[in-house]
Amino acid sequence: MITKQIIEKIEGEAEVFFEEQNNKVSFATISFGHMRDFSKILQEKPALDALVLTPRICGICGHSHLYATVKALENAYKNAGVNVELSEKSFQIRETTLMLEIIQNHIKWIYLTAIPKIETLLKKHSQTKLKGLYSSTLINKIIALLSGQYPHNSYMLPGGITSDFTYIDITKAIGFLDELSIFLEKEFFGVDLENFLSFQSCKDFNTIKSEVASFENSLIDLQMQTKGFGYDRFLTLGDHSFTKQAKIKKTLLQKADIKYLSTSPAYSPHQTTFAYNALYKDEFIEVGPLARAMSNNIPLIKNIHRRYKDSTYARSIARIYEIAFLIQKIRKTILHVDVTQPSFIELPNIKKISAKGVGVVEAPRGSLIHTVSIEKGIIKEYEIITPTQFNLASGTKEKPSIAQNAMKGLNKEEAVFAFRTFDVCSVCTTH
Amino acid sequence: MPSKLKLLWLQGITCNGNAHSFLNHPRLASLLKHFELLYHPLLPSSYSLEKIVTDFPAADILIFEGAYSSEFTRADVKLQTIITNLQQKSSYIIAAGTCAAYGGIMQLSDPKSSGIIYTKQKELLNLIDKEKLISIPGCPIHPEWLGYVLEMIIHNKKIPLDNELRPSELFAPLTHHGCDRNEYFEWKVDAKQFGEKEGCLYYEQGCRGVMTHSSCNKILWNEVSSKTKAGTPCFGCTESDFPRSNMFHTKTNMSIPEDVPLGVGKKTYLTIAGIAKTFHIKRLEGKLIDYKTDNRKD
Repeated sequence: MITKQIIEKIEGEAEVFFEEQNNKVSFATISFGHMRDFSKILQEKPALDALVLTPRICGICGHSHLYATVKALENAYKNAGVNVELSEKSFQIRETTLMLEIIQNHIKWIYLTAIPKIETLLKKHSQTKLKGLYSSTLINKIIALLSGQYPHNSYMLPGGITSDFTYIDITKAIGFLDELSIFLEKEFFGVDLENFLSFQSCKDFNTIKSEVASFENSLIDLQMQTKGFGYDRFLTLGDHSFTKQAKIKKTLLQKADIKYLSTSPAYSPHQTTFAYNALYKDEFIEVGPLARAMSNNIPLIKNIHRRYKDSTYARSIARIYEIAFLIQKIRKTILHVDVTQPSFIELPNIKKISAKGVGVVEAPRGSLIHTVSIEKGIIKEYEIITPTQFNLASGTKEKPSIAQNAMKGLNKEEAVFAFRTFDVCSVCTTH
Repeated sequence: MPSKLKLLWLQGITCNGNAHSFLNHPRLASLLKHFELLYHPLLPSSYSLEKIVTDFPAADILIFEGAYSSEFTRADVKLQTIITNLQQKSSYIIAAGTCAAYGGIMQLSDPKSSGIIYTKQKELLNLIDKEKLISIPGCPIHPEWLGYVLEMIIHNKKIPLDNELRPSELFAPLTHHGCDRNEYFEWKVDAKQFGEKEGCLYYEQGCRGVMTHSSCNKILWNEVSSKTKAGTPCFGCTESDFPRSNMFHTKTNMSIPEDVPLGVGKKTYLTIAGIAKTFHIKRLEGKLIDYKTDNRKD
């Protein structure tokens, strides 16, 4: 028998169709039934308008879309033979606001999805975790200080950024970051960030009493270290100050290249889906925080991976680890900003540009790729591949995707939890 | 505390940006204490989406986010059916964001879609009883604008509305009000390029601040900033014609912006701009902050 489950309280809505045997999922397909068609929206628009339009693809990772657009446009300039120069300051600030977006995403995942859902699985009384939103609000304040507002700003332009802030803003940003660290250390990690980042093994969680520790214990209680496996291969396509581009097979790091990417219509026999699967060398591959941690050779995550591979447990802990990891990176980056450097180095008018450009960014949920074709400054084609298209692809029984594989053999409730640990974004998938 | 008001947040065709924006409200926890959330796309709620679209529970406040299309479905039920049923049982209906008010960006991919109040051309739809409607455009909605409307309802105060059903106290001002660059506007000193503190973005960079109804520079975003404070032009995202085309560029006629400040005659504007441009004010032509000279060395 096939049963349908609507997955809500993600970004948008998804449907999973389960096939079960002896109360265990034998196969599941994933559908995303809503489509807005940003590729069509962007066609024939002046190229710079994409900087206003693509952030509106998604309410939680619009900044990543903005960054991918600006990189794609700058790449088009380069491909048209124009030298694109960026000041160190504008690069640092772009990276900072992206990292901030990633951690606000992860904090919302923890407080609005992971903790409530795991408590339900454990039949515990679940309480609203609104206090977590205090920390995401603080993060968004820092983004706004540097970029004007959050969500939906358009402060990146080919050649730099629009904001020309002062040290008043920089010191305030560091102050908010301090406040965020204090809050998370007290309310979430139960240990200072540096200490947490020095964890070498999952046994170190036994040394602390905190929300993180109890979440980790809950994952173990539910045996999530033995569930939710993908294919033990990972991809990080974005090249940033906080992560390296790589393909990882088990623990072996290889060079990655976007030329091996392809998309194909998602398999959805029971309902219309607008999603396209994203594949690398024609294979399903996992993107996101676990992939980034593997590419970064993070000792704690490597240790967990050695024991528990790409399980739901490893995937969840990697996302949590990334919060602390990025807070430290942000601090270092902001402290080094020299406000006297130019924010923007003007490029020739985009009306003179006819070229193709690709922009790749590590978004909160994984690699995000924008490809634009411009003719005399007008967009002719715009293609987007989002992280959920990799992780939450829907393949056939013979070739299931990462998430489909992860759900196999679990009971339905566990399968839905495993599904949610990929941090699903429906609105991005069917952009 | 008196009994809690029932709040139902429903989404049409959306990016989720309004729901996320509202989570940034600086006093979210205390504000939400006044409500029972029947449904919210992100926060824990008493009903599942499937129950909402079959039971149609009565709500004191229905917040609608996203564009409207009669054929669009939520949990397999057509939006038209959901809205028709829910609106009858709701006392206030808030259009949250520009898509809900006028169709916004979503209207670009599906020209048949609209807001729940207006089409993009500002034709009033008869989908919902006008007496119940409050429009809070913005892409996304400003969390404190929605907070203000909810607080007015909590305290049983009448919300003054303008002729597009927007709260007047929020939408009578223009983005221009409170903009850091006002002095540059007064003396017609344009920004030489992006990425600088100096100069007004109205003349070349496409800023719509002088003709956009919004209090973005009075009630700051995330309590700290705004687009124009960050050197980004106002794109007029609270207006029905958002998104326009060529948004980083000002269309000009004889080097005067084609669209002049709201309510100002073209001739009047030309006269005042012409006069102001004849003056050269050195202070406004140089850098605002001198980072190069260390005056203590002299």
